[in-house]
Amino acid sequence: MVEFRNVSYTYPTGQQALNRVNLKIDDNEFAFVVGANGAGKSTLIKLILRELTATEGEVIVNGFNLNHMKQRRVPKLRRTIGVVFQDFRLIPNMTVYDNVAFALRVIDAPIKYIRTRVPYVINLVGLETKAKSYPNDLSGGEQQRVALARALVNDPQLIIADEPTGNVDPARSFEIVDLLKAINACGTTVLMVTHQHDLVRYFGGRIININTGAVVFDEVIGGADEAQ
Amino acid sequence: MRLNSFKYLVKQGFKGIWFNRVNSFASLCVITISLLMVGISVLLSFNITKMIGAIESRNEVIVVIEDGAPENNVAMLGEELAGNSNVFEVNFYSKDQAWVDMQADMSEDEKALFQYMSRNPLPDCYRIRVKEIGELSKTVSWIQGLEFVDQVQAPNDFANILIGIRNVCTILFSAITLSLIIVCFVIISNSTRASVYARRREINIMRYVGASKSFIEIPFFVEGMVIGIVSAAIAFGLTWFAYTEVFKMFSTDVNMLSIFGLSALIPFEEIALGTGIAYAVFGVLLSGVGTVISTRKHLNV
Repeated sequence: MVEFRNVSYTYPTGQQALNRVNLKIDDNEFAFVVGANGAGKSTLIKLILRELTATEGEVIVNGFNLNHMKQRRVPKLRRTIGVVFQDFRLIPNMTVYDNVAFALRVIDAPIKYIRTRVPYVINLVGLETKAKSYPNDLSGGEQQRVALARALVNDPQLIIADEPTGNVDPARSFEIVDLLKAINACGTTVLMVTHQHDLVRYFGGRIININTGAVVFDEVIGGADEAQ
Repeated sequence: MRLNSFKYLVKQGFKGIWFNRVNSFASLCVITISLLMVGISVLLSFNITKMIGAIESRNEVIVVIEDGAPENNVAMLGEELAGNSNVFEVNFYSKDQAWVDMQADMSEDEKALFQYMSRNPLPDCYRIRVKEIGELSKTVSWIQGLEFVDQVQAPNDFANILIGIRNVCTILFSAITLSLIIVCFVIISNSTRASVYARRREINIMRYVGASKSFIEIPFFVEGMVIGIVSAAIAFGLTWFAYTEVFKMFSTDVNMLSIFGLSALIPFEEIALGTGIAYAVFGVLLSGVGTVISTRKHLNV
């Protein structure tokens, strides 16, 4: 669950990125966050990940109140969140398996768990035949699936997908969102930031539009896929 | 932390050394040279102190008594000398004994030359030993001021040279140590920054998936420790070699032997363990602490 209560954020330069944002994304929800460049989407994500602390208001994520959180507890918060980036952020000298396992290794997960969990998640994103491949040998869509597997492997409560289809061709973009929808159907909250309005129109659901630091639209719309 | 994770972190530390090999090598060289210079300075200082000690134990100041000084005044002079805090031994050496000893050392021809002398030309004197050679000139000046003292013969110049060397070594040692520590920290800081930059992608992912601060920092610490230990081992080997060579030179050179005696230099076997431990501790501390400080500076976890 993500909750913003009257949240404002002003950068040290004086630029106000968010202004009194009120937002609640419940468990198991799927929400698209849309908005122009500089609207405040990235700041919103940084606040959820506790890279930034709200200058005003309260941010609550997965039961953690981020305003009163000590720095040493931030890793605990982040273990409940999976993040997918537009540029995949895979480690090129690691295989698909190792890239996914890396997320578990660095949180001191038991080796037995890694050995069972990683193949399961790789299988879930449909890359079982590519486990030994390196990221550079994969297409953009496949790389994004690896990134998704890495985000999923910790079994997070929330997945934040920051422009996950930005570097993927249109056909594969729909597959990625399909995958995120499937993950959401299994009980994980998904927050997807995107510029691609065709995707939003196609899939529908809850749309949060941010403009100049404020939520200007927050409603559920019907998607084209439901109409079909 | 699980053993498996510990192994993983250690492995990452070694990997970091390899990926960042140019900087690692630079750090290794600088730390090795630093350890070597500091080590040599310390060993030099130890040996000079020992040499000074050896000379101190053999030094003898001859206090020549004025010819014709009354016996009771000579005795009083002896008591005065013994009362000085820097004097630990006073022996009276009579002119008669000196004459006998001198004749014993003479060849027959020399004896023949002296047999016509009606009077013993040698003076009475006191032979004294001082505790602290650093105070020698002060003591000599004091003796020269005493009544019935004709002259004082002391190894002043040599003692001054040794003391000068010891003082210069102490200053040099301190300056070298301080400047090398600063240089080491700068190099380690640069190396760590390069290492953090080389692994920025992994570090970034580690942050997002919830790796703890220590988990991110440990590989850098391992990297620093390994460089420190290897540097210490290399510095120790080089010191061993160089010291043994110098020791051989001192042991076989007649001039050196005559000046310093056989026991002037400390054999390396006697100081090997201490030197090894000091190198290891200093190397690990320098590199480990340097890495931790610079990791915290460059790694904004």
